[in-house]
Amino acid sequence: MVATETSTAAAADPGWKTLARVAAGDADAFASLVESHQERLLRLCERLLGDLEEARDAAQEVFLKAWRKAGEVTPRGQVYTWLYRIAVNHCLNKLRRRKLVRFLRWTDPEEPDAPAFDPPDGAADPAAVLEARRRWRAARRAIGKLPENQRVVLILARFEGLPYRQIAEVLGITEGAVESRLVRAMRRLEATQESGESRVPGEERTR
Amino acid sequence: MNRGTEHDLIRLLHGELAEGEARELRARMLREPDLAAAFRRLERTWNGLEPPPPSPVPPGFAARVLARARAQGPPGALSWSAAPGWVRAAAAAALIAGAALGAGVGRSWPAAQAGETGFQEESVSIAEENEYSLTGSYWELVDETTGDEEQQL
Repeated sequence: MVATETSTAAAADPGWKTLARVAAGDADAFASLVESHQERLLRLCERLLGDLEEARDAAQEVFLKAWRKAGEVTPRGQVYTWLYRIAVNHCLNKLRRRKLVRFLRWTDPEEPDAPAFDPPDGAADPAAVLEARRRWRAARRAIGKLPENQRVVLILARFEGLPYRQIAEVLGITEGAVESRLVRAMRRLEATQESGESRVPGEERTR
Repeated sequence: MNRGTEHDLIRLLHGELAEGEARELRARMLREPDLAAAFRRLERTWNGLEPPPPSPVPPGFAARVLARARAQGPPGALSWSAAPGWVRAAAAAALIAGAALGAGVGRSWPAAQAGETGFQEESVSIAEENEYSLTGSYWELVDETTGDEEQQL
């Protein structure tokens, strides 16, 4: 239980103390937990799911799971890696269901089922946002072709900027496995880029 | 390029390499054009993966989450994972049976009738909402029983 766990993890991340209060039913502590992590969790869900509305729903679900499970977690590392783990699993489950629904509806698997990122509300430069969306759509296509386990590692490493150690913690795998998945993902993306099948953005094609 | 070097190049890109090792690798690249070219290719791919800035947190997000949490009761108060296995299995079976029954009724409902009453669109949207809530509840149950945070990836 959180309240009785060793103080080492709590010393490393005071968030564990907040979580202990959440486990005791302290709504203010929960509000503070949400406020501290909402931005990065929404961002992660958005990057994993590629759909803003779905990401907002998913992030809410992740926090509600944290609320329900606060009393069962063993403090280890950082609170956010625990939240990331819930978020990654939740989003992957959503993606798997999406695939199943597509299969049952006989939808073309190549057809994107959701627009890739709406421009942020009140974006300053619409042209820049559109350009970013175009580039991101191409990148997403390439990333979407990666096997799931490589894709997640790539997103956590490249977009979330997590070091191997924390990715390993989030995914419950070894650092060696993180590295080899990332290397394989990069190999595939490079090959895709070279074949011109789905060009990674930022790269002007020379003919 | 051997496997170890490839791993080192990606570590360098990701900032995982210790300062001394990074310096050594960069010095090697100056001596070995093939290695430098391989790094440039990787770097181009890596830099090309740039997502747009994340969308801002919607106003009132935390308040909505908090309201939903409060509605659920204190942590661990009503958790499917705490329920005995047979209760969870029975609940899942009931949900599936309900969804199947709902789908059957929906199909057998004469479309013309709905059209005649002028409420066809409304009926469709209600049916869709119901389907969503049934399947949503089912998946929520599956999540609870499998434990999202315990899965190995």
